[in-house]
Amino acid sequence: MIDRRLLENIDWFLVGLLLLNSLFGALIIYSSSHYLPGNYALRQLIWIAASLIALFLFLVVDYKVLLTYSTYFYGALMLVLVLMLFTGTSIAGAKSWIRISSFQVQPSELAKIALILVLAHFFSERKTSYISSGTAVLGFGLTAVPFILVACQPDLGTAMCFLPLLLGALIMAGLRRKAVVVMAIVCLLAGIAGWNLALKDYQKKRLTTVVFPGKDPQGAGYHILQSKIAIGSGGLFGKGFKKGTQSQLRFLPARHTDFVFSVVGEELGFIGVVAALLLCYLFVSRIFRSAGKSRDRAGVYLVYLVGTIVTFQILVNVSMVIGLFPIVGIPLPLFSYGGSSLLANYLGVSLVLNVKMRRFVNI
Amino acid sequence: MEKNKFYEDLSLVLLRTQRTLLVVGALFLLLLFFIWKIQILDHKKYWNLSEANRIRESVLTASRGLILDRNGVILADNAASFKASIIRENCQDYNFSLQRISQLLGVEEDVLRKRIAKYEAWPRFKPIVIKDNLDLREVTRIEARRLEFPELVVSTDPRRFYPFGSLAAHIIGYLQELSPEEVKSGKYKGKGLGDLVGRTGVEREYEPLLVGGDGKAMDIVDSQGRVREEMGRVEPIPGQTISLSLDFDLQRRATELLEGREGAIVVLDPKTGEILALASYPTYDPNKFITRFTPEEWIGLINRPDHPLENRAIRGLYAPGSVFKVAMALGGLDSGVITEETTFFCAGTTQLYGRPFSCWFSGGHGVLNLTEAIRHSCNIYFYQTGRRLGIDRIAEYAKELGFGSPTGVDLPGEKEGLVPTPEWSQRARKASWYPGETISVSIGQGPLVVTPLQVSVHTALVANRGKKPVPRLLRFPVHSTGHNDGDSDRRGVRIKEETFEKVIRGMWKCVNEGGTGRAASLQGFDVCGKTGSTQLISQERAEKLGRVIKTHSWFTGFAPQKNPRVVITVLVEYGGMGGATAAPIARELFDLFRSKHD
Repeated sequence: MIDRRLLENIDWFLVGLLLLNSLFGALIIYSSSHYLPGNYALRQLIWIAASLIALFLFLVVDYKVLLTYSTYFYGALMLVLVLMLFTGTSIAGAKSWIRISSFQVQPSELAKIALILVLAHFFSERKTSYISSGTAVLGFGLTAVPFILVACQPDLGTAMCFLPLLLGALIMAGLRRKAVVVMAIVCLLAGIAGWNLALKDYQKKRLTTVVFPGKDPQGAGYHILQSKIAIGSGGLFGKGFKKGTQSQLRFLPARHTDFVFSVVGEELGFIGVVAALLLCYLFVSRIFRSAGKSRDRAGVYLVYLVGTIVTFQILVNVSMVIGLFPIVGIPLPLFSYGGSSLLANYLGVSLVLNVKMRRFVNI
Repeated sequence: MEKNKFYEDLSLVLLRTQRTLLVVGALFLLLLFFIWKIQILDHKKYWNLSEANRIRESVLTASRGLILDRNGVILADNAASFKASIIRENCQDYNFSLQRISQLLGVEEDVLRKRIAKYEAWPRFKPIVIKDNLDLREVTRIEARRLEFPELVVSTDPRRFYPFGSLAAHIIGYLQELSPEEVKSGKYKGKGLGDLVGRTGVEREYEPLLVGGDGKAMDIVDSQGRVREEMGRVEPIPGQTISLSLDFDLQRRATELLEGREGAIVVLDPKTGEILALASYPTYDPNKFITRFTPEEWIGLINRPDHPLENRAIRGLYAPGSVFKVAMALGGLDSGVITEETTFFCAGTTQLYGRPFSCWFSGGHGVLNLTEAIRHSCNIYFYQTGRRLGIDRIAEYAKELGFGSPTGVDLPGEKEGLVPTPEWSQRARKASWYPGETISVSIGQGPLVVTPLQVSVHTALVANRGKKPVPRLLRFPVHSTGHNDGDSDRRGVRIKEETFEKVIRGMWKCVNEGGTGRAASLQGFDVCGKTGSTQLISQERAEKLGRVIKTHSWFTGFAPQKNPRVVITVLVEYGGMGGATAAPIARELFDLFRSKHD
């Protein structure tokens, strides 16, 4: 079923970057959790292997086919998200997990892939150079549904990741200046309304502590401060692998998940930070550059949207751990421990590879 | 051309992708810039913060130097003591914590709260002592529930222990916790809030010798405050052991002799000024003060009308009474207003400045010379001497002979007493001096007040025939600074040696030839002394205290007559006649001294 010519067209360089990032991440996970029960590093390696298999299995199906059925994926996942509001397993206060036998998955991560597919599907059908308001409204609606559902879990971090997908799709579709201004105003109004109506107290507190981290060092500002101490104390060369005091003595919160980047900063120093960010940048730029290698508009959207969501998560996570952004619980793609997020990212890359390797194929 | 059917025109896509990448690249660089600022520019600051996070310093308390008597008997010792401290950082719920700790330790919640409030400014991981002197039962109770109470820790500390309790309590003093104000004053280097320092007595006077240097332990701890490993350790330097001139046996006997009374006893080596015993009664048990709290006993002691905390020997001010007649005799002889042969007639009473003044012996002593006057403590004789001398010369001699200024003993808080003069009267009382007061002062009454230690030093001066010692307690280590450079000296005393001999003859007769001090006589020990019985300043005050009006009872003396080896001064408040109460006490001590040294 899968043509040998297709295999030859797989972007092995991108696959290489993907693995390099993941293994770098697994190494840091090992450093920050080897003294904890639970074998996090090993489990992450297993997840990497499983995700890699999923990536290749996903390649078998032509993305055209995937797009055709995208509305069903989307619909099914939205249904799951609705059901989860009532039955989800609560972890850290958010009902964002479902338990299948002994392991948990986060459907909201997979919803990202579904939204990418469905946005690409609908946006690629409109073939004008600039976007029509009908498409914009449709895109807005498609994004709003998972956003609201996930925000209600409540998992604001993951919910936020849906927004750049809409923005990316709009940009790629050709957004007029006027529309940008209107959107900015709408965002501002939504922000004000959200602050007053939707945000919970702890979320407000997190936002204010980004501005004043020293104000409450024992409370919400504690995590940010400890993370900055970890990174800052690393200096140029870092304290050495497995030798970060902030991480090894557990001053740093969520060391193997959301704050894995702080461990890089503390143990490997500025050199390590530059290396990690360089790897990330190469990874996302490779994805973005693949957009032009698509045979059709739908492929362009797929690639571009995958690039957007990965980039968004990297930028937000790093800003978060250095205190530029509120702590919203967005993991660092490929680095942070977590199977669902890893799988979602691998499937995203799988989409990119899918588009890229089928660019010369005539159907 | 055919290709274009399948492949759309993607030039716009390329443009938009490139722009996106540009923005993304810029954002990555921006992040890198911020990280560079934190990691490279502010590295030092964050490095220090991370070190402060992981390294915890704790004080290793130095054991205090021991205090020994002259023969090596330990008067102040160190014992291990257990204390319970709270670590606020480990409290799940602060209020609940206090509640259950209050139950566990049996300390009221309010007390705990107040206690902890004092240390508000401390970092939250630092243990705050909330109860000390735990007994073993309490220690096991806390240790058994260690997992339940992560906020409570038990640690040991060397604690001061006074094996003989109240014995010599006034000399040794006691320890108390530093107050925040004292810490701020900077007087106690290296000491912080909650540390114990010498508050009175030798403990305070020789604090710098006794205190030693605290050490510290540096531990690596995790975010839960658990110690992971020890990083470094500076051992504490124990305080220096000091040896006092006190003789344990004399001190104990002196204390026993005062039991049930109020008064003071000083036993002095006249040559060196060494204090062999210094007792003040009532006394207290300093062991009870070595707690970090203000116990009820403390309040009780402060408020007791007989002031057990006061060291009467150096802080009690009393009229010297007839004891002052020795100084009067010396002054009279030296100034030439009388000689040894001068006689006066005592009819039991006399009229001076239009007022009657009486002798204590209402029958009258008849005609007597100086020696006899000292022997019988005749008031009339010294009224006449005083009248001839005048108040200015009396004051001059009193000061020369050791009154009106501190003796310089190495104890804190010594009072200087008062030798009144007309100038003093104008200054302090805003009233002029009455000639009649001169007569009162002549027999050690009136505004003249002295401390028992001053009387003792004065007696030593007489025993030394003019050489005045500085009383001191510290024998070892010998320190060069300050007052005690060894032997007594004729510090400003111009009275001739033979003048002293004349007065000493009277003092010898006073004890050994049926004088007022006969109760102090000791076969073969040639005690020379003088008694005193001082009228109370006001009768009303005595009534207020609910006492029978009795005079204060004095005896001061030395032995032997030639080459004196010991001076003993006894004061018993409301003790009645000096010869009846104080003199027999002195005799006991002379006896003990002789039996120890022969």
